[in-house]
Formats: sequence, C-alpha cells, structure tokens
Amino acid sequence: MRAPDDENLFIAGTVPDALAALASHGVGAMPFAGGTWIMRAPIRREPQAAFYVSLDRIPELSAVDIAIDRIRIGACVTHSRLAAQLAEVEPCHGLVTAAGSAANPAIRGMATVGGNLSTWDFPAADLPPALLCLDAEVELATTDGRQRLPFERFLATRRELRPGTLLTGVTIPRRPVRTAHARLPLRKAGDYPVAIVSLAILLDRNGAVEDASVAVGSVESTARRWPELERKLVGHPLDPETARVLAEAELGAFTGRDGVEAPGWYRLQVLPALMRRAVDAALRSQS
Amino acid sequence: MATTLTVNGERRVSARGPMTALIDVLRDEFFLTGAKSVCREGACGACTVHVDGQPVVSCLAPIGTLEGREIRTVESLAEASEPSALQQIMEEHDVVQCGMCFPGILMVLTGFLRECPHAGRDEIKAALVGNICRCTGYERLVDAAAALARRN
Ligand SMILES: Cc1cc2nc3c(=O)[nH]c(=O)nc-3n(C[C@H](O)[C@H](O)[C@H](O)COP(=O)(O)OP(=O)(O)OC[C@H]3O[C@@H](n4cnc5c(N)ncnc54)[C@H](O)[C@@H]3O)c2cc1C
Ligand code: FES
Ligand code: FES
Repeated sequence: MRAPDDENLFIAGTVPDALAALASHGVGAMPFAGGTWIMRAPIRREPQAAFYVSLDRIPELSAVDIAIDRIRIGACVTHSRLAAQLAEVEPCHGLVTAAGSAANPAIRGMATVGGNLSTWDFPAADLPPALLCLDAEVELATTDGRQRLPFERFLATRRELRPGTLLTGVTIPRRPVRTAHARLPLRKAGDYPVAIVSLAILLDRNGAVEDASVAVGSVESTARRWPELERKLVGHPLDPETARVLAEAELGAFTGRDGVEAPGWYRLQVLPALMRRAVDAALRSQS
Repeated sequence: MATTLTVNGERRVSARGPMTALIDVLRDEFFLTGAKSVCREGACGACTVHVDGQPVVSCLAPIGTLEGREIRTVESLAEASEPSALQQIMEEHDVVQCGMCFPGILMVLTGFLRECPHAGRDEIKAALVGNICRCTGYERLVDAAAALARRN
C-alpha cells in the first residue's frame, strides 16, 4: 500500500474556499466528503488523487432546508441524517427508505449524498433512482458560478463534469405524490442491492394513477426511468399485483448487467416482484 | 505536518500524513490495538471506533479530518478497569470466540444501546448489519445484547 504524502489534504471552510483549492491544484485534486469510497482506493488498487479538499466542515453543505414547496439537501448531508431529518416529510418516503437501508449503519453515518451521486462508476447506488422519481435538481458550483441541472441530465453528464466542479446540493419539489423504494440485497441487509425499483405516483381524486415516475437502479450501469411501464400505469387504479404483471411485460426495456454478485438475467427477473413491493409500500405511505 | 487528535480523552500527536487511515495511527503509532484492521473497505466493522459519539469505521477515516473531534476506542469502555455493563453481559453469556470482530461489535452496541436502551432482537440485528463475525457467533451475541436491553 502506498504511503500517502504529507500535505495532501485541505480542510475547506466555505464553498469558495473549496473551489479555489480545487482550482489551484488542477486535475490532480478531488473533493473529499465522507471518504467511504475514496479511502478504499489503495486496497482496490484504484488511482488516488494527489490532493484532496475536504468538504465536511462547510456549514452550507450540511444543511437540510424544508420549505412548503421544496426541500433542499446539502451535498455533505450523510445518509443517516437524511433518513432522520426527512423521516416524516412528504414526499420523501422512498428517499428515506433508500438512505436508511443502504450499506450499514456506520457507513450511513459517514457517506454523503454528494458522494453517492458523484460515484458515476457505481451502478448499485440507492439515491439516484429515488431522486430520479422525485424530479430533483442538482446544484453544481465552479469558480465561474453556480447552476442547476435536472437530475436526469446530471446523471447523463456527471462523468464529464469540468474538474473542480462541486456538487453543492439537491432540491426536491414537494408534489403530492406517494413514493417508495424497493431494493433487493442478496443478504437481508448490508449488501449492495442487485436491483432497485423506486417510484413516485400521483393519484387522482378517484384513486386512479394520474402521473407515474418509475426508476430502476443497479440493473444497468446507471439508474434510469422506465417510461414504457409509467405509461401503462396511468389511468388505472394503483394495485400491486397489476403493477407486477405490467412490469413483467415491459422487461425488454432493460439489459441487465452481469456482475460477480448476480448475472444480468437475474436482475431483470426480480424487477416485477420489486415493482409489486414498491407499489404496496407506496399505497401504505402517506401522500 | 503533525496532526493532533483527542483519543480516549487524551491529546495525542500523530506524525503520519493527514490522509492516513485512523486505524493505522491507533494501532501502529498509539499502540491501541483493540480496533482491528481486517477488510479496510467499511464492510466488516472490526475497526469501529466512536467519533463524537457516533460509530465510524476507522479504516475509512483519514486523521486529517478528525482534528478537534473526540475519538473513543474499545480501550475506553472499561472505566477504572471495571468492564462496562455490555462487556460484562458478553462475558456472562460466553459470547466471544476468537475475538477478532469483538471490539467493533462492542463499539457499535455501546452507541446503539445508548440511543435505544430497550431495543429488541430485530433492532439489535439491524444495528449489527455492518459487523461480520467470522466465527458466526451471532445468536449468542444477540441473546446477550437483548438480555442487557431487558435489564435496562
Ligand atoms: C461497505 C459499503 C457498503 C455500501 N453499500 C451501499 C448501498 O447499499 N447503497 C448505496 O447507494 N451505496 C452503498 N455504498 C456506497 C456509499 O454510499 C458511497 O461510498 C458513498 O455514498 C460515497 O459518499 P462519500 O461521501 O463517502 O464519498 P467520498 O468517498 O468522499 O467521495 C466519492 C467520490 O465523490 C466525489 N465527491 C464527493 N462529494 C462531492 C461533491 N460534493 N461534489 C463533487 N464531487 C464529490 C469524490 O471526489 C469522490 O470521487 C456502500 C459503501 C460501502 C463502503
Ligand atoms: S476493517 Fe474497517 S470495516 Fe473492515
Ligand atoms: S468471535 Fe471470531 S470473528 Fe467474531
């Protein structure tokens, strides 16, 4: 294992401080949030950055703001804080399940939202499918200023972000949707999920689906929506068994990735059951 | 650059670089060998310590981020050389086998039972999801923790 050099960590106190430090060290510099991904690099023989900029003492990045029409989650909010602070807040049932059941308790206490969203080479991440369904926006900052990106666009472009870009937060509009997150780890808990179904459903006054967002994680290399199934759900009452059958018929939309923990076909095979569980959980969640 | 850490209430100075994992400083520099370095990936929990009262896997925590934080290791559980109630009940139930996982398990359960003193078996199991025991002594372990929770 390579002994780390001296002076290769800067503790930033503000976002501009962090951006300046990243800019002055160029492509060799990387943000450091919870460290749960970065610190495994030596044992996985993955490349390490020459210089890290720690974000965890920046107050702005650790804030959760709950307004009437939207929720803003700072990039350095950990999975456990997210789960605790948004536990009874609508429409976060699915997101809270994602944050509260990922990994294990110690990792949840360290790993941040920004870190989870920035690990573009990690297909089994729980937060991306949950945030895809919520029409979230991602806030990015560079030395040139800040911008917001729709979540889907962020996922498609995050690999090519300019070096020195910081993810500062995520904003969720508060729509009256029912949400759920169903994941399948191979053990009961503590493993990466082999497949994930997240959803957000808007019901009309008669209980029929007015609008449906369904996202699938861990099956392909990046989480994405399932528009073929979403269209089939609209106009009908929300029912777990019907949703399972509809999902079964639309499995052709995905190509499962092979991995050491599960082959691609298995990830597809379990999606209908996860869809049933997700709808069941959504019906029991508040709207 | 030296890093100043507060470990079990004492100020300690490490000469290692700021990106050094806390586990290596605890074991190799401070000779606090309770926490074990096993998977170094956050998956087994054998290296768990407390930072500001929260369980942290010390294999993934660089010392440079820990200045000013309160670090506690398994060595601090036996105050005035008296084992803690948790340590005592583990002994009563004869839970420990090889002991490799045990410091981490004690730290996780100490934090967890402080927050949920009346926890039931399922909650105890959920709290221990990140602790792997190669000797697979889980049932007795959960029995002992549940017995302590009933006593609380
Ligand atoms: C044992 C274990 C089990 C796990 N199980 C799960 C699971 O079930 N589900 C799941 O979703 N995840 C799981 N994970 C992954 C975990 O969620 C990620 O490791 C974590 O979210 C990364 O966040 P971090 O804050 O630790 O990131 P770091 O390790 O600090 O950083 C990761 C990457 O993101 C970049 N980065 C971090 N913050 C920012 C920012 N604000 N702006 C720009 N770039 C940034 C860093 O430069 C680095 O490239 C598991 C991890 C472990 C170790
Ligand atoms: S050695 Fe740290 S979790 Fe396994
Ligand atoms: S007692 Fe041997 S690893 Fe747990």
